[in-house]
Amino acid sequence: MWARRITVDQRRWLSEPDFADIVGLCQFMPGPNVVGIAVCTGAKLRGGIGAIAALCGFIVIPWSVGLALGAILLEYGQLPIVRNILGGVSAVAAGLLIAAGLRLFVPHRRRPVAVVFGSLAFILMAFTKLPLLAVLFGLVPLSIAASGIEKARVG
Amino acid sequence: MSDHSALVALSAHLALVSSISFGGFPTVLPDVRNFVVVIHGWATDQEFTNFFAMVQTIPGPSMILMMSFVGLKVAGFPGAVASAFATFGPPCSIYFAAYRVWDRFRHAPWQEIVRRGLVPVTLGLVVASGTVMARAADAGWQAGAITVIAAVLALRTRMSPLWMLLAGGVLGGLGLL
Repeated sequence: MWARRITVDQRRWLSEPDFADIVGLCQFMPGPNVVGIAVCTGAKLRGGIGAIAALCGFIVIPWSVGLALGAILLEYGQLPIVRNILGGVSAVAAGLLIAAGLRLFVPHRRRPVAVVFGSLAFILMAFTKLPLLAVLFGLVPLSIAASGIEKARVG
Repeated sequence: MSDHSALVALSAHLALVSSISFGGFPTVLPDVRNFVVVIHGWATDQEFTNFFAMVQTIPGPSMILMMSFVGLKVAGFPGAVASAFATFGPPCSIYFAAYRVWDRFRHAPWQEIVRRGLVPVTLGLVVASGTVMARAADAGWQAGAITVIAAVLALRTRMSPLWMLLAGGVLGGLGLL
């Protein structure tokens, strides 16, 4: 994970526990995690200005380059060869996304509560047309309540 | 719908879903696809999966870029900029605010319970995103097989995702999918 290498090992902006702390926070917040790590690191170093600076470095430049490249690619998006290549890439990327979700689920696999709510979230989002808002607000409070009961039982 | 009102509707929707994208932005892909492709018809499934594939091949913040391409399609360059802001603005403000108060509750016992309840749900959503994107491509069984193989390789080996994406692109380019 290069974010850790840069912030902790190379530049020594953060100590190891500080970094772990920030990652812990970012993992259960909405949004792109890596951007969150950048914002929090910036905030830690220089407050609000730091957070904005981190955001610019992290988004503005790569975004401009990416958008320009993408716009060029889109020009050719209707060519069969480009469409086929993108189709192959998309199939792999979908597989990688599935794998990422499953891998992170491994530590939870022996918790019936986690399996039930993870599966419900999967089924509702993959096979119904329910909006994300409905799925999240329907499942998350129940899931948290069940986790609380689970914790009380296990002790 | 005119470009302008489409742009406002898209940005508002992206701002809403990005605020609730617990577990990372990929969790919102099925919702955004439904909004953009099924409800409004601003882009086809083909275009939506093209955007998804494209951002894997170019450097940069992939989900912000992907939403920018959706914005670009809906309302040109202003659409791209507005979509980018709608995608990262709300979560970043939330991050910043949360970071300020995190000290107070980081050791609270309920924090662990909230996490244990929230994380499995978000992981189910991530897997659902992959499934929806694979189905949206609506290609033949070969593409489905590639999705499954990529998932298995990613879980069972330490092969770099870049090689897999490259292999997928080559197979697709050769017209095998």
